[in-house]
Amino acid sequence: MRPSLKDKYMDDVVQFSQQNNEPKWFTKFRTDNLTSSSDLSLPTYEKINYRSWRLDRPSDFTATSSISDFKAAQSESYIIQTGDKTLDSRLEQSLADQGVILTDIFTAIKKYPELIQKYYMTKVVKSNENRLTAIHAAMMNGGIFLYIPTGVKVTDSIQATFIQDNHIKRDFNQHVLIVAEDNTELTYLENFISDGDAEENKANIVVEVVAGNDSHIHFSALDQMNAKTTSYLSRRGITGNNSRIDWAIGFMNDGDIIGDFGTDLIGEGSHTEAKVVAITTGDQVQGIDTKVTNYGRHTIGHILQHGVILESSTLTFNGVGHIVKGARGSDAQQESRVLMLSRKARGDANPILLIDENDVTAGHAASVGRVNAEQMYYLMSRGIDEKTAQRLVIRGFLSSVITEIPEEEVRDRLTQMIERKLINGQQ
Amino acid sequence: MSTLEVKDLHVSVTDEENGEGQEILKGVNLKMSTGEIHAIMGPNGTGKSTLSQAIMGNSKYKVTSGDILLDGESILDWPVDKRARAGLFLAMQYPAEIPGVTNIEFMRAAINARREKDDQIPVRQFIKKLDEKQAILDMTDEMSGRYLNEGFSGGEKKRNEILQLLMIEPSFAILDEIDSGLDIDALKVVSRGVNSMRGDNFGSLIITHYQRLLNYIVPDQVHIMMGGRIVQSGGPDLAKKLEDEGYAGIRDDLNLDVKLTDEI
Repeated sequence: MRPSLKDKYMDDVVQFSQQNNEPKWFTKFRTDNLTSSSDLSLPTYEKINYRSWRLDRPSDFTATSSISDFKAAQSESYIIQTGDKTLDSRLEQSLADQGVILTDIFTAIKKYPELIQKYYMTKVVKSNENRLTAIHAAMMNGGIFLYIPTGVKVTDSIQATFIQDNHIKRDFNQHVLIVAEDNTELTYLENFISDGDAEENKANIVVEVVAGNDSHIHFSALDQMNAKTTSYLSRRGITGNNSRIDWAIGFMNDGDIIGDFGTDLIGEGSHTEAKVVAITTGDQVQGIDTKVTNYGRHTIGHILQHGVILESSTLTFNGVGHIVKGARGSDAQQESRVLMLSRKARGDANPILLIDENDVTAGHAASVGRVNAEQMYYLMSRGIDEKTAQRLVIRGFLSSVITEIPEEEVRDRLTQMIERKLINGQQ
Repeated sequence: MSTLEVKDLHVSVTDEENGEGQEILKGVNLKMSTGEIHAIMGPNGTGKSTLSQAIMGNSKYKVTSGDILLDGESILDWPVDKRARAGLFLAMQYPAEIPGVTNIEFMRAAINARREKDDQIPVRQFIKKLDEKQAILDMTDEMSGRYLNEGFSGGEKKRNEILQLLMIEPSFAILDEIDSGLDIDALKVVSRGVNSMRGDNFGSLIITHYQRLLNYIVPDQVHIMMGGRIVQSGGPDLAKKLEDEGYAGIRDDLNLDVKLTDEI
């Protein structure tokens, strides 16, 4: 029998925490979760089977990233991290003056213990949800904390770039905690990207977003982990009264990955729009489970997922709309569509509606299909070759999410990423 | 000079409900050269659009016998995009809408598809040409920035088809009922666009129900199609005769056994 995670990693976890000079309560949080991880199950998602990926068998989370230089697009406020190290960071002075915090997670644990204790893996993604969240809690080895105090409106975007290191053997257990207090606005963009392909690694990433009452968060993400990385990515939010989270996620990884996305609509009258685009190529598997739960009355949860599958890859979209009893006047809508460009590819679009309240509206649409023949004919009738025409049609098909991204520069990057993945997959 | 020749062309379409093939074109013959404008007129359901789709290479239309030759070479085995790059253009009756792709990037892609990879059209030159052609069609930059045909009115779509024609400058343009749904002013604008293309290097096959369009784009030859064949050819006067007598009159003159769809 394999030794339990606890037996195998307890010393490493304690030592890692002490080396970071983490407060005792945080060391205890880590070790408690390590202990409980063995008793928890792996999360299950409809039609996504990832057991063989062994995401619950960490290797080395204590290593220091080997990357010391990385060029990333920058806005006025940004942070660039490679695992445990922050390479560069800047916060616009006017935001700092208003009390906005943008810092690495280790500093945050020491400097803002009340905020971290209140929000870190307690409200959005709970550490004891499943075995993978518990492993993350025990072995978290990098990340950021972004805090927007009450009443502050961040108009320009804050960008975070996280470079996952495949030059060396190192687990990538990055944590992002964003807390936007009442009556705030935030536009945030994050980019997960791999560098190097010497080693195969695992990533276990948790991104938590807390939207206070009357807040509005635009969250965009470009995920580009490479083929050497096998990942679990939990990216979720909770809403206060009359708040709103708009997600625009470009799921452009080259490796196997589970995306556990969603929003708990807790506050009355809160709203989320969860938009995801994905492209899968090669023989990779991307499984995306987007779940919106309407707890508060008069809440609105909309899911829109569009994906393209090439070669012998697999893409699964689950869309879960759950309206709990008492969430009167709520609305859950979803649309998941998958385009298959290859006969060897596998695609799935599963709408799941769980409605426990009568006075609600809900609907779903799902399809798995091929490229629209009439659109192809039209483009080709103007002399455009088949592959280029396909890419144009696909770009159109994915545009519903691309157009949601506020910054033109980021939209262009996503478009280029899509183009690159498609060209690779078409060959 | 280029030539486009249709020889004893038979074309079938598959009925979507019962899966059976139905012959629409029953031996069409037509020959045209650049420098000429031909008009094909005919009642509804007679195969005019089928002819245009078959020439362009729409896979829904199966050529069962006969041939289509461009400069003497059969193009039946050519895919649609190759036919287009060889000089054919079809202004469609119902152009597809493609969200997320702007008109302007689509037209650039179409022009660049005809050029070598290392000789793509410079942006400045493209914009200059676009401005010139838009001016001919009373169009603004606003339309070029919009997604391809998405949310365009019927008239805007037609105008946009002609704008593409002017930008791409094919050898042969087939205009499939480009006049349907256009008011008289739009009809004049569209005709102005087509007429601006006239010259030794351009030929057009204009498909229409009505003689009206031919007042603005005066054809060199008029062909009347009924029952899947061209039944009569002549000069521009033939269109006028048709206007006076109707299709039924021509049919009876020629002693044809053809049922007209819209006949009372």
